[in-house]
Amino acid sequence: MTEFRTVGKSEIKIDVKAKVTGRAVYAADINLPGTLHAKIVRCYEHAHAKVKSLDLSEAAKIPGVVKVFAPEDLTTKFYNQSVIDIMVSEDMRGMLGDIEDQKILTDHVKHYGDGIAAIVATTEEAAERAAERIKVEYEPLPVYLNATESSQDGAVQFTPQKPRNMAFELPEPAFPNNTLGWGDADEGFKEADIIVEDNFYTSKQKQAQMEPNSYIALYDDDGLLSCWTSTQMPKSVQPKIAKLFNLPMSRVRIIQTVVGGGFGARLGMVLEPHICALAMALPGHPIKVQSPREEDWLTSPSRHPGDYWMKMGFKKDGTPVACDAKFVNYKGGYYLDGSGVAFTTGGWVSGLYKFGALRYKGESYFTNQPVCGAYRGYGNPQTNFVLEQLVDRACHELKIDPVEWRKKWHKDVGDDGWCAGVPYASCALDEVLDEGAKAIDWKAKREKYAQQTGVKRRGVGVAVMVHTSGAMPMLLEHTVCTVRLNEDATAVVAFACSDMGQGSHTTLRQIAAETLGFPLEDVSLSVGDSNDAGYDIGAHASRTLYVGGGAVMAACKDALKQLLERAATMLEANPDDLEIEDKQIFVKGSPDRKVAASEICSGGVYPFLNPQTGAPDTIPGQILGYSSFNPMHNSPPFGACFVELEVDTETGEIKLIEMVNGHDIGRAINPAVVEGQLEGGAQQGLGMALTEELYFSTDGKVLNNTFTDYKMLGPSDMPKITNVIIENPDPHGPFGAKSVGEAGLVAPVGATANAIYNAIGIQITDLPITPEKILKALNEKHAA
Amino acid sequence: MKKHSISLQVNGAVHEITIQPNKTLLDVLRDELNMPETKYGCGTGECGACTVLVDDQKVINSCLTLAATMDGKSITTAAGLQTAEGTLHPVQEAFVENAAVQCGYCTPGMVLKSVGLLKKNPNPSEDEIREWLEGNICRCTGYEKIVTAVQLAGKKIAQADG
Repeated sequence: MTEFRTVGKSEIKIDVKAKVTGRAVYAADINLPGTLHAKIVRCYEHAHAKVKSLDLSEAAKIPGVVKVFAPEDLTTKFYNQSVIDIMVSEDMRGMLGDIEDQKILTDHVKHYGDGIAAIVATTEEAAERAAERIKVEYEPLPVYLNATESSQDGAVQFTPQKPRNMAFELPEPAFPNNTLGWGDADEGFKEADIIVEDNFYTSKQKQAQMEPNSYIALYDDDGLLSCWTSTQMPKSVQPKIAKLFNLPMSRVRIIQTVVGGGFGARLGMVLEPHICALAMALPGHPIKVQSPREEDWLTSPSRHPGDYWMKMGFKKDGTPVACDAKFVNYKGGYYLDGSGVAFTTGGWVSGLYKFGALRYKGESYFTNQPVCGAYRGYGNPQTNFVLEQLVDRACHELKIDPVEWRKKWHKDVGDDGWCAGVPYASCALDEVLDEGAKAIDWKAKREKYAQQTGVKRRGVGVAVMVHTSGAMPMLLEHTVCTVRLNEDATAVVAFACSDMGQGSHTTLRQIAAETLGFPLEDVSLSVGDSNDAGYDIGAHASRTLYVGGGAVMAACKDALKQLLERAATMLEANPDDLEIEDKQIFVKGSPDRKVAASEICSGGVYPFLNPQTGAPDTIPGQILGYSSFNPMHNSPPFGACFVELEVDTETGEIKLIEMVNGHDIGRAINPAVVEGQLEGGAQQGLGMALTEELYFSTDGKVLNNTFTDYKMLGPSDMPKITNVIIENPDPHGPFGAKSVGEAGLVAPVGATANAIYNAIGIQITDLPITPEKILKALNEKHAA
Repeated sequence: MKKHSISLQVNGAVHEITIQPNKTLLDVLRDELNMPETKYGCGTGECGACTVLVDDQKVINSCLTLAATMDGKSITTAAGLQTAEGTLHPVQEAFVENAAVQCGYCTPGMVLKSVGLLKKNPNPSEDEIREWLEGNICRCTGYEKIVTAVQLAGKKIAQADG
């Protein structure tokens, strides 16, 4: 194996000292001189209503209020806060049925917390006080909290563009009968010896990143609109804002502040349209908004909840002859990326197992709930909960070990991946399963737990998953990178890739240093301002290390090539015969024939003219490496998770004991970063399985938009975690690396459900698996 | 609203300030004293992002504490744990070395909460650390590296004292 200098080392993260001292600057920490404070006034009386009248006159009289805004006082142009529209071609956009159905402020409230007015004041307190003086009269409308209700005959239409409130279904003719898959599922089922089938509900989970949304915008005297935001996608927000306000992109500047967590909640826009609209209405004044924590559950997109039906057929020997699946998700009040999860979920069902035939249907329906969008996994965790439980049900009936079945029937190198036509190029799932099973002592525990009788029952479960590294070929993948070599042979690498805390800036810097052959400390990054770097879609689909890394590698190779060519001229050698070590370039095998990189770089910046010859003494020109990179693959990572837990059959409580999170990473550029992603993903995946769900009253009010009531697993709830990281370099990834970001969340969901199944012999089909549901199921089993 | 004059020592510097009685310590630190290292996470004492150290002993949620009640007290924020020369506190060092930081928004509070534990109990067990950190939410790390960082910090402090 090649010896690497920095790749494979757990280098200290770039921004970590600024974060432990609190010096890292988040949007809320910025106070520009003369800042005014904004408040978006939200509807907390109804989840579905028309605003009959809005009286802002009393609010305007509060001391300190600068201006009050009704919907018509800001742009009333429709927009869509998601950015899927700019990641696909116009044809594809039409096929996906993408629509613009949001307004900055609305007179048709479609969910609890929809924005109806805005106030700008000299202090936050004055804005708050003014908000209390707004008088609104509503005409209540029927509230629909699931797809069945909103699609019924006579239901109020959310938008005339989407009849029956169906936001999306797989479109004809690309998907005949609105389905995707392969083979003839009906014929497949005829060959089955056993059928497993059930209806599931998957929950409305919230990212709950620790930094509440805060933004600043300024429309300055030169007509430049600047917005400070912790978006995951600065270069996608920039054209969206430009389009919404009819500005050329050169007049819009997005400054990405330190991102206090994203997980999808900041994919695309959240309140950027609002703060920019207010800034444009009050030119010259920086406008700041600090969104209260409780609004985060209402205003930024959550995971898609929905009804998930699945049916699978197996032969006695375990051969999976057919799978039929349908996911009907509840979109919330607006379209956003309405096609996205309904579509990708079919990808996740397609990607994992060698079914003889597969048929998948995906549909989205509007509901009177806060919007859904991207959340770490994008349909994959929902699928894991359903698919992996049914596989275990079949394994139980067929008396086949669930690990052995998965090893035999998972897709492998050369098989069609989650997207038809892009076959897997690497897969180490067998090794991940073997090592994981060993780490949790699978066989011994499965045997032991089969014999239990007491009140507290232990169980151990497994689930596997496949994810992606970037979203090609479905969505555009593109990152631009430039590498400037300074005269002292240090490098400045510029790109617009986001670090949301996952450590991508650290790992991308490692890739740059490794490629250039420079020490890590000689490489610095230029990041954060949308006008300082070329294009990058933004952080989504676990793409940053993979696509961004590919771009960084290509740009660094370009810079290195220029450096070596100049060295070759100076050393009178062939560039292919040169090597770089400690910033000295020398001829292979002749270490004395060398030139320092700094001599070349300095000569490029300072090409002094020789007074005798009139020509420069050195090779002129500062070296600039460049790439505009589109990956050729999506190198899916595979993972296997094992969970051991204990169920108290008297209380229904679950205690997590241990988990082994196995991941086929390709190459761990920074192992500590990889572990961090798996461990953090585990907290969210286990939480999705056991505790996390946004609850509604029958009239659509959100009941638990606080940290006390929206229960996430705390430090003492977490099990002992063992990471199993298998390195099997992928042919396409930078240094063989594949993604890890979203993947860590996925398999813990299914593994937890399967561990419960192993402990008490019951499968819970509704997320989250609460003690109440367990007790109810145990009582029903006892009664039967 | 009648204003109150208080004397607040923050990271060693004394501030004589006049404040409204409804202002929280978090408001005063961030807005009056321009010290944004203490974070607003929920404003209701549920997440711990605003944790500060009082009189070098006790950790509190600054979002739940009226600043007027802090007259004469000494407050330490995350920035104040570092020496003027730039040396990090052993807990900060341990968080850095152990990759216990991702998005960093919970980190100042998490570091101070951990300092508070080690002052009471210099050699806590893993269970004691986990229980103590309940109330400080991290959404990125799964707590694993934070817990081991606190253990590491305990050892660093013991070595420095020994």
